[in-house]
Amino acid sequence: MHEESDSALIARVKDDPEAFGLLYERYADSIYNYIYYRTGNHHDAEDLTARTFYRALKHVSRYVDRGAPFSAWLYRIAHNLVANWHRDRSRRQIISLDELVMRTLKREEPAALAEEGEEQDLLLQAVRRLPPERQQLLILKFTEQMSNIEIAEVMGRTEGAIKSLYHRTLVALRKELSNEWNGREKITGGTSDE
Amino acid sequence: MNEEQVVEVLATHAEKVIGRGENIQQINLTDEEHSRLAPLFQLAERLQQSMQPIQPSAAFVRSLGKELVDNAKRQITLTKRLRRAMLIGAAALGSLLSIASVVGAIVFVLARLRARTQARAIHTPTGQIGSAPA
Repeated sequence: MHEESDSALIARVKDDPEAFGLLYERYADSIYNYIYYRTGNHHDAEDLTARTFYRALKHVSRYVDRGAPFSAWLYRIAHNLVANWHRDRSRRQIISLDELVMRTLKREEPAALAEEGEEQDLLLQAVRRLPPERQQLLILKFTEQMSNIEIAEVMGRTEGAIKSLYHRTLVALRKELSNEWNGREKITGGTSDE
Repeated sequence: MNEEQVVEVLATHAEKVIGRGENIQQINLTDEEHSRLAPLFQLAERLQQSMQPIQPSAAFVRSLGKELVDNAKRQITLTKRLRRAMLIGAAALGSLLSIASVVGAIVFVLARLRARTQARAIHTPTGQIGSAPA
């Protein structure tokens, strides 16, 4: 069956509540993934995904199609909410339940698995320290598996700009990771010397 | 290899890593170029492995979807009611304005008639009214 376009669904939203339901079904996973990789835990990912779609529902009647995909608008809402979340979190340091569970589980993992998991955690933590637009690029590229042209549409840039940003992101991430590892080696070396 | 070429090679590699490189030309690199870019290739592959799509819980997706549709229904009903109330309000206001304008017109006409009668009374010669012969 022919899938209804986003524009057609948006036009129907004013009179048909199911139309928003269809838009939600179409983008729920993508928005959830975006938020999950930006926050690092499921609890906040669920909370912020819900808030993103509630905000979208509230303002969808005022949405103006300027040629960018509807998902770009949703990602923008999610981005703003994640930014607020980071701001609030920096004020009060909270360890989420997911993190606590993960920490406990890690203590119980076999060494090799723990090391692999730790490496992955370090990588994802380093990704989370990147500027938001670079994080978005990596999420759209590796999680959503979008092509550079699709990413360019969502992020409102040219394909060339996306390729350059990807290059700069990889270089910055590699630097960040090597700094992290050097720092850890120094700490470990310092402890063994004592 | 200049920076532009590096950018292109990394972009091509990334498309291949995510399995979208069917229509992309082969990356031809010398050994030296490959060893220079190898750490970035490896990093991209690690990112691909570490950033796999996460499936949100089905219960969460279902319940949020239901809540949103219910909310959308309420919003539509509310908007319709608001629109109807505004229409009724505008009609009532319009009626009031037209009644007020009719009343205003009547008052205006009466006031003018009264003013004209008074003016006529003032200009009438006093001798003609009840003047006694000398």
